[in-house]
This record gives sequence, structure tokens and C-alpha cells, in this order.
Amino acid sequence: MKKNNIISFEEISKEMPFSVPENYFSQFAEQIDRQVGYRKPITQRLHKPWMYMAATFVGILFMSGFFYSRYQQNSVKNSENYETYVMAQVDESAVVDYYMSNSSNNK
Amino acid sequence: MNLTEDELLKQLSQPRSRASAFSTLVRSYQERLYWHIRKMVLSHDDSNDVLQNTFMKAWNGLDGFRGDSQISTWLYRIATNETLTFLSNKRMRNQHSIDELEENMFSNLQADNYFNGNELQLKLQKAILTLPEKQRLVFNMKYFDDLKYEEMETILGTSVGALKASYHHAVKKIEKFFEDVE
Repeated sequence: MKKNNIISFEEISKEMPFSVPENYFSQFAEQIDRQVGYRKPITQRLHKPWMYMAATFVGILFMSGFFYSRYQQNSVKNSENYETYVMAQVDESAVVDYYMSNSSNNK
Repeated sequence: MNLTEDELLKQLSQPRSRASAFSTLVRSYQERLYWHIRKMVLSHDDSNDVLQNTFMKAWNGLDGFRGDSQISTWLYRIATNETLTFLSNKRMRNQHSIDELEENMFSNLQADNYFNGNELQLKLQKAILTLPEKQRLVFNMKYFDDLKYEEMETILGTSVGALKASYHHAVKKIEKFFEDVE
């Protein structure tokens, strides 16, 4: 409020009327780091959280692909083994008899 | 990285983790200290110099800091001393009288690209520059930062009563300045 044109505190913003150059504070901190001989470990800069997530995802994909192909190979192998096993249990003459009786029944 | 004050102090006391902890400390306090200094010296370049001196003093004085006060209080004290020393040296170097230094500071402020205040804010800065340095400190810390008198007491080493009186006088002087310019 103005009293007889005199400036009062309420009229003046309490905001700081100053600014700083762009990126000033990050550059300042790096400058002090250098002055005290501090080097940020490189791993800290390279290993970001998204990198961990991506690596986990790729790992899961790879493992699933590996286990799936193993499973498919096993199931083919199992069916082949079963056929061989059954054939080994049956006598050759019994098979011939079986086919012969089937053909005579069909006539 | 969010460290507690105790963790930070512990890391600062160990040579292996000292520089890393100091880097955290700089990032935590640089802005607050910068604005504390800037309100006194007004120019960005001068504030940058004083802030650098402040942190280098703190770095070199780490062994002497026993944790009797909070880190922020300790840093504010260093920043305040560095600011007052800077202004005193500037006054001696230029061999100006008190008024001349403040007049120079105000004319530099008017031409400063990093001052973006309006006409009233500029007038307030001019009024603040008429106060003695210690009173300016008290006024800035109370008016702009709204610090508690108890906090100011630990930083400036002045009693709460004296600080209240100093702020009151500063406000009266600024109001008188406004009356005189109108």
C-alpha cells in the first residue's frame, strides 16, 4: 500500500531479483570436485537404472529361448525313443501275423 | 545420494571417503550459500569467487570441524566471514570511501545482465546498500530468507535481542530512504 506516494514493503516482491548463468551450479560443483581432487567413479556414470532393467530383460529372453528349445528337443527325442522301444518289444512274426489276419478280415 | 548429517560427518572424517563426501556437501549447500553471498556482494562474478573461497576454506578446515554445530551453520559462518572479508578487501584495493564502494556496487547492479528485478526491487537494493554491512546481513537473512533469530544468532554470533533491534533499525532506515526519494 502506498501512503502519500511513499513506497512500502508490501509493494515489493520478496522474490530474489537475481539470476545465474545456465548450468552454473552443476558446473560449480564439478569445479570444486576438481579442486579437491575428487573423481566420480566411472561406473556411477555408466550404470544407470534403465541399463540394469534392460540387461535383466535381455537375460530373461535369452534364458526362456534356451529352455524352450531344450524342451522341444527333448519331446521329439522322447517320442522317437518310445517308438523304438515298442518296436523292440514286439516279435517280428507276431507283426506279420497281425497284418495277415487284418488283410484276411478285410476280404 | 541422501546422507544424514551424522553419516556425512563420518565420511568427511575418513580420508578415503572425504573427497566424495565433500562433493555431496557442496551439492547440498552451494545454492543456499550462493544466495546468502549474492545478496551482499550483488554481482554474480564476485559471488562466484566468494563461494569458491568459502568451500576451499571449508575443505582446508575440515580437520578443525568437530561437529559442535550443524554443518549448515558452520558453512554459513565461513560464507559470512568470506563475504565481509571480500567487501573489506575490495574497499581497501580501490581505496574508496564506504559510500563510493556502495555507489559502484549499485551502478554495476543496474547494468548487470543477471539482475532481473523491477524498478521497486532496484530501489530496495539501493536502500539496502545504505545500511552498514552487518545490518545488511541481518536484514537480508530476515527479510528474504525469513531465518529465525535463533538460527541467525548461531551463524552471526549476535544475541537474539541485538538481532531484533538491528532488523528493526534496518527497516526504519529503509522506510526513511523511501520517504526521502519520493
